[in-house]
Formats: sequence, structure tokens, C-alpha cells
Amino acid sequence: MRTLCTLIIKNLSRNRVRTTLTALAVIVFTMVYTVVGSTTSLVNRLVSSTSSNTRLVVVNRWITPSELPSRYIDQVTRVRNVQDWTIWHYYFGFLDESKRSDRFGLGIATRIDNLQAMHPGLEELDPASLQAIKHDKIGALVGLHMMDAMKWKVGQRFTLFSATHPGKDLEFHIVGVVPAGKWGSNFFFREDYFQQGTGDDETVNVIWLRVGNEETGRQIAATVEQMFANSREEVKVETEAASAARIAGKTESILAIVNMVVLVLLIDMLVVISNSISISTRERRTEMAVLKVLGFSPNFIIVMVVSEALIVGTLSGGLGAALAFGLSALNEADQLPYTIAFLRMFPVPVSFVPRGMFLGALAAFMGSIIPAWTARGIKVTEVFSDIA
Amino acid sequence: MAANSTLLHLIDVHKHYTRGSETVRVIRGVDFQVSEGEFVGLIGPSGSGKSTLLNLIAGLDRPTKGQLFLDGVDIAKLSEAEVSQWRVHHVGFIFQFYHLIPVLSAYENVELPLLQFGLSARRRRRQVLTALKLVGLNHRLSHRPGQMSGGEQQRVGIARALVTDPSIIVADEPTGDLDGHTSEEILDLLDLLQNRLEKTIILVTHDPRAASRAARLIRLEDGRLVAGDESTIGAAFPGWQGTLT
Repeated sequence: MRTLCTLIIKNLSRNRVRTTLTALAVIVFTMVYTVVGSTTSLVNRLVSSTSSNTRLVVVNRWITPSELPSRYIDQVTRVRNVQDWTIWHYYFGFLDESKRSDRFGLGIATRIDNLQAMHPGLEELDPASLQAIKHDKIGALVGLHMMDAMKWKVGQRFTLFSATHPGKDLEFHIVGVVPAGKWGSNFFFREDYFQQGTGDDETVNVIWLRVGNEETGRQIAATVEQMFANSREEVKVETEAASAARIAGKTESILAIVNMVVLVLLIDMLVVISNSISISTRERRTEMAVLKVLGFSPNFIIVMVVSEALIVGTLSGGLGAALAFGLSALNEADQLPYTIAFLRMFPVPVSFVPRGMFLGALAAFMGSIIPAWTARGIKVTEVFSDIA
Repeated sequence: MAANSTLLHLIDVHKHYTRGSETVRVIRGVDFQVSEGEFVGLIGPSGSGKSTLLNLIAGLDRPTKGQLFLDGVDIAKLSEAEVSQWRVHHVGFIFQFYHLIPVLSAYENVELPLLQFGLSARRRRRQVLTALKLVGLNHRLSHRPGQMSGGEQQRVGIARALVTDPSIIVADEPTGDLDGHTSEEILDLLDLLQNRLEKTIILVTHDPRAASRAARLIRLEDGRLVAGDESTIGAAFPGWQGTLT
């Protein structure tokens, strides 16, 4: 075992340039995979996490982002079997005066009295912060990611420099933190403060309805759509799950292309490893024949060749993913000379490091098995007759 | 050295290869015996089948027909895995071009064959050091092949061949890549193995000086045994002026 390990390590250091280049290729491929893979996984998670069939979303059928007359609220929420409701006003803008792209944030003005009931994912919100916002008109409940990114603390004030309502920059007082998860990158605030601060009491972006079951939801959706059919502001009503599916449908083709890129990267990685191992085993045909003469079994040759590839693949894969994670973490902590906005939106989770190792190992195994099998079949007499 | 019981016995051994539609008959019915402790030279012109015969004896290849007994075992009947295991215990191989593993030290190269014996590290170390001392290289343990001369590399090759204490040592042109002086040193070493350790040695060579060290010469021509036991250095290499030891 010790000699097998010695042999493997020494074989890897035999041609350091080739080993380093192979490792570099795997590192780069894994880094790219990690960044792209974490993006697609986050998008998929966000889309699928909102799949409820008892929450209906009412939006403008023709305008994106949706905008509805405020008078619709009363009509829609009076429909029979609607158990609860809320509204959203979007309030986009920059979170500080730098107006850097990575300082762009979304505030959601909504009803506070039923905030938790209408927003799954807020169950663990601190009751004290809920009480605080009820008594503080300019109070804001800020997502954990946003708090971390901005290095804010509870009790602190901030001003959002509005992009959606130019000149209507509102000041907020942070009264609580929204747990990480679906809402971790946004902040909630009171709708009355929004209306007062922006002067916009004529429109609303989204109306949310809670219903008893899926069947009731379908009936209500049909009723509400019928109410505003052929009007200037037609509405579309669908369950949250259907909405998620529609968004998923839109993102599906983009994700498919991204996944294709990932697949091509994997194939490239496999080809690089396979090629490197093939060259290496070709160069060592005589040595492998000698090992056979000395009594080493063909399976020993396979284990030796595959192990060499596995070491390079696993370590490089892990290193590539760790570098991507490190880059993302430094980016989030503002420790890089330039902020990478993309990584701010799609941070690489630490769980991708073992995944990168596994990916590198898998590619190494698949890339080395054919060269290893070829090496296993080396005929001693043919090798020595070639030399003679 | 007086010959003991028969160690190697070839009975009507044939080896054919097929190249396309053509059958090449490399060995055509060879019979001979080698006794324990004998030093036999296998000689003949290029293409006469010497190396093929040596590969058959070492279990690296299988005869197309015939029986090949070594230490009482018909190795032609063993499976590939069995012959591989059998070879570890019974055959030491010395190559013309040494064929040491370049990334391993002299010590590690000699230790390689022992790894399949399940010996303790201490016992392995003792055997490796003994073998390297015997070939006069106990001061070059950590040197890699690239850091040694051809003669030294061949000594490591010899140590590797004898470290498992095999029944027979087969040497394929062991001096073919060495200068005259170094060749003599290597041949002296083979003599030593045969005289002191009573090893059975089969030596394939073109070199009359090397052949002259053998107690008996077996001459092959066109895959057949010529003259057999009666072959002499003078007959084998007409005009050679050296002296038999």
C-alpha cells in the first residue's frame, strides 16, 4: 500500500508541468461550474419555493412590472371565499449614496397586520420587531443578506434612493431582521408610509389573496378575471404555484442553455484528464510491462492509473470550488478591490466545495478508466520486442 | 558446480505467431533440460528465437504446443493470474536495458517484487539491503536510476532479480548496453550468483565474452536447437580468441 502510494505520488510528480496543467484545467472548469451551477440551483430554488396553491396572485395582464388601480383592491378582496389578502408596492432603489449596482435593493410596502400570514417564510420573524413596525411608521424589516451586505444594525436609519419614484427618497428605521431565505435580500415596510412618502395612492403592484383550497382558488381566479375582462386594466389571476411554473417556464430555456454550457465543461474536463492520462500511460508502457514481469497483477495497473487521476481530479475539483466559494465570500465581505455584482446576486454556497471535489473525482474516474483499461492489457512480450 | 536434479525441462516446445494470413514459426520443437545451479548460455543469430524462448521459460508467453516444466510445474497449463504469481516466486528477470522504475530509488526498485510476499517492512528491508550489498550498491540506496551509471543500474536490476530468492534467473543480453569493462563486472557478478548462491542462470547473449561464462551453451538457429549440449564457445563464435573461464 505504501509503495502503491509512493508510486502514485512519484508518478504525478514525474512530469510536473503536465500534472499542473491538467490540475489547472480542472480547477478552472470546476470554478466555472461552481459559479454557474450555484446560479441555476438558486434560481430553481427560488422559483420552486413559492409553489402554493392556496395563495392567488392578482397582476396586470398586460403590463410588467404589474400595476393595478388601487380601487381594484376593494372589489377583488370582497369576492366570496377570499380568506385574507394583502398588497405589494414595489419600491426599488439604491441603498446608499454610492449608487453602485451592487447596492441596488427592493423594498416591499405591504400590510403589516397580516404580514406573517400572507408571507410564508416569515414564521420565524421576531414578534418584537413586528410590534415595533406597527408603532413606527418609518420602520423597516430588513432581510439578513441585505443587513450583512450593508453592514447595518437594528436601530440604524437608512435612506433608499428611489429608482421607481425619482425624487421620492424615503428614510427608514431598521426595527427588525427578516431571516435568511426567500425574503433575505429584500425589506418590508408599511404601505401607509409608502403612500404618504411617494404620494402614490392610485396604484398597487400586486394583490395577494389567500383561499381555502385549490378548487376555490380556481373559481375565485375565474371570477376576478371576469370582473375586469375587456376593461383598460385587465387582470390575470393565478395560483402562486402556477405563477412559479410560468416563471420557471420562462427561465427554463435560459437554464437549459446554462446547463448545456456546464455539460460541455464537464466533457471538456473529461477529455483533458483522459488525454493527460493516456499520454502518461503511453509513456510508461515499458514500466507497466516491467511491473507485470515483477508479478504485479493487471488490476494493480488499473488501480495505479485510476488513483493518479482521482488524486488530481479530486484535489483540483475541490480547490476550484473552494476558490469560487472564497471569491464569493470575499466579494460579499467587500474584501475584493472590485465588487462582482453577479456573485452578490448569486453567492456560491460552501456546499459546492464537496460537490466540486465529487465532480473532479467523477470526471477523473471516467476520464481515466479507458486509459487504465488499455494499460491493463499491455502485452509484456510485445513491449519488449518493440524495445529490442 | 556439480549439477543436481532437473530444474527446467522443455519437451517439444513450439511457438507460432500469426501475422495476417501468415503463420510465423519462431520456436520449432525445442527439447532440453537445465539442472539446478547450472549456468546455461542461450546463443544464436538475431531472429533465431532466443528471446522468445526466454520469454516462454520465464512465463511471459505461452507455448503454442509442448510442455515446459519448471520446478516440476508445467507452466504452460497455468492461468495468467497463476503464472503471474508463480513468476514472482520462481523467476528473476534481468533486462538488457535494466528497466528500472525511474521515479523510484535503488532501494525502492529492489523492494518492488517483495511487496507481493506479505513480508513485514523489517524483513523486506533486510532482504533488500542484502541484495544491494551483494551487488555492491549498499551505498547508493536513495539514488534514482537517472543518478547512476549503466553498470550501477544493471546491478540494481540484478539485485531486483535475486531479492525474492527465485529458483531461476533469466538474463536477456544483460551486457548488451554496457562497455567492455562494465560488462566484465556484471558477468563477474553473475558468476558470483551461480558459484556462491548456486543460482540457476539462463543467459541470452550475442556476446562471446558473456557466453564464455556459461558452463553450457544452447544454440538456436531458425527456432531449432543446433548442437544442443555439445555446443562450445569455439563453435558458437568461430574465430573468437578469448579464453574460457
